[in-house]
Amino acid sequence: MLTDDRKEALQEIANIGMGQAGASIAQVLGEFVQLSIPRILIVPPAEVPTTLARTVEESTVSAVRQAFYSDMRGEALVIFGQHRCNDLADLIGYEADLDHAAEVELLLDLSNILVGACLGGIAEQLNLAIGFSAPSLMADAIPLSRLLQDNPVPWTAALLVEVDFSLEKRSFACNLVILMPEAEIERLMRAVDLFLESL
Amino acid sequence: MSELSPPPRLLDFVVDRLEVGIFAVDAEMKVVLWNHFMAMHSGHEPGRVIGRNLFECFPELPRVWLEKKIRNVFLLKNYAFTSWEQRPYLFHFQHNRPVTGGVDAIQQSCTFLPVKGAGDSVEHVCVSLYDFTDTAIFHGQLSHAIADLQREKAEQRRLIEKLEEAQNQLLQSEKLASIGQLAAGVAHEINNPVGFVNSNFGALERYVLDLFRVIDALDGPDGLAGAQAIRQQIDYAFLKEDIVALFKESKDGLDRVKRIVQDLRDFSRVDSVQAWQKANLQTCLDTTLNVATNEIKHRADVVKAYGQIPEVDCLPSQLNQVFLNLMVNAAQAMNQRGTLTLATGCEGDGVWVSISDTGSGIAPENLNRIFDPFFTTKPVGKGTGLGLSVSYNIIAKHNGRIEP
Repeated sequence: MLTDDRKEALQEIANIGMGQAGASIAQVLGEFVQLSIPRILIVPPAEVPTTLARTVEESTVSAVRQAFYSDMRGEALVIFGQHRCNDLADLIGYEADLDHAAEVELLLDLSNILVGACLGGIAEQLNLAIGFSAPSLMADAIPLSRLLQDNPVPWTAALLVEVDFSLEKRSFACNLVILMPEAEIERLMRAVDLFLESL
Repeated sequence: MSELSPPPRLLDFVVDRLEVGIFAVDAEMKVVLWNHFMAMHSGHEPGRVIGRNLFECFPELPRVWLEKKIRNVFLLKNYAFTSWEQRPYLFHFQHNRPVTGGVDAIQQSCTFLPVKGAGDSVEHVCVSLYDFTDTAIFHGQLSHAIADLQREKAEQRRLIEKLEEAQNQLLQSEKLASIGQLAAGVAHEINNPVGFVNSNFGALERYVLDLFRVIDALDGPDGLAGAQAIRQQIDYAFLKEDIVALFKESKDGLDRVKRIVQDLRDFSRVDSVQAWQKANLQTCLDTTLNVATNEIKHRADVVKAYGQIPEVDCLPSQLNQVFLNLMVNAAQAMNQRGTLTLATGCEGDGVWVSISDTGSGIAPENLNRIFDPFFTTKPVGKGTGLGLSVSYNIIAKHNGRIEP
């Protein structure tokens, strides 16, 4: 399914999409954003937790999930470490003291920005329509090992697109993971093929 | 306008009258759309709001945060959301269940939608505001119910722990009771050999003194003849025979004491903590039978019908306790001398042990109560009524069944 050609193209598309996303997020936050090169792989759902464990450095995590739909369909997870994104509160218009609800809202807000920018970037490259549901809290400070145990992925294959975010001047980092079921991966691959033909 | 588009007036009507709050602002935060829902709930007619800055019309809004949020939608050209769960409301609207609701405002979830104009730039941000009050109230009730359930669960867990503790104590006291019951019998079993060994020693002492007399006479005035006379006198032939017999008998007696002490030890496993181990149930039966022999030997002959059985994972001291209960019950059930049959065998991948007597049997009306704690047909002071109940639990712990 993920031939070298397709993978290379998807990698390139993701790179460009993320680059645009980085630029817009930097505008929103007013700070320089560091993005890793997206890692793209297709794994059986059973291997998703171990794959995540390899890249997520924190052992206690909070996570937000956001569904996307239309020409691309799946779920995006944004995984935060122990300090979540509290250090960014003032950049998104919050007062200094955050209560629990504000902390979670900030988490949802920032996740929405990251997911929208990154997936929007990819969809735009591929000329695909995409919509987003409201994000929801999936895990509130739980051990990483329990993250997908409590929320199993019910598909036969999952496309993982992993990106690490961090800000230069703030203590903040998170991982963005895009999960898509098998049929949707095939649909995305056809779009990638069309994109390649149009070059 | 294509023929497939809905009539503009219909569209306007729907946007205005939908039971959802809809408003839009431009990049200067000026209100450009304010539908009926917003007007009804805010008390601000469109005429008083449209064309004016949103935050001037509603100074109570959290301006810094909300303005940043709307600006981000312009900038990122992407949706944004708020949820009633984290932020119960954007606008303080009186809700429609003021009496029974228990919340002070309409609970709102909002979607911020970028509206693009010609080209790719966002010209307006349209906010739709959904009433989640009923969901929130229901959610609150549900949370309460869940909290109650969790409290109850914790309470139950505590009770179960207490119950387990009580059960363990019961197990322990039943064990002590059966050991106490045994003590008298065991004392007798030990006392008997100790008694005859003791009296044998009395005889042996006399014999040794006699032998000394014979040996000492050799050095006496009569020499060999004197010694021979004394040897005649003490009936040396009998003495020689009897000494050997006395030693053998005493040795047997001491062996019996040793075995009883060993069995008692095996039975109660005083020297090891309770641990699951491989054990042969026949050895357990034999050990228990030896310990209980005084309870049984006057009432019954024992017949063993052991089959070939493999070792099983078990807590031997606890199984011994079960076997003791059953054997003593069996012996006590026989008013006339009878037969106690111990049998073992395999069935499927399990092993079975049967302990049967030729006594009176269990009355049919008692059959379904025999495993109840404190149920006993023995006279007051004779039985605790815990033996079979404890046995039942021990066997259950071994994934087994115990049946009358």
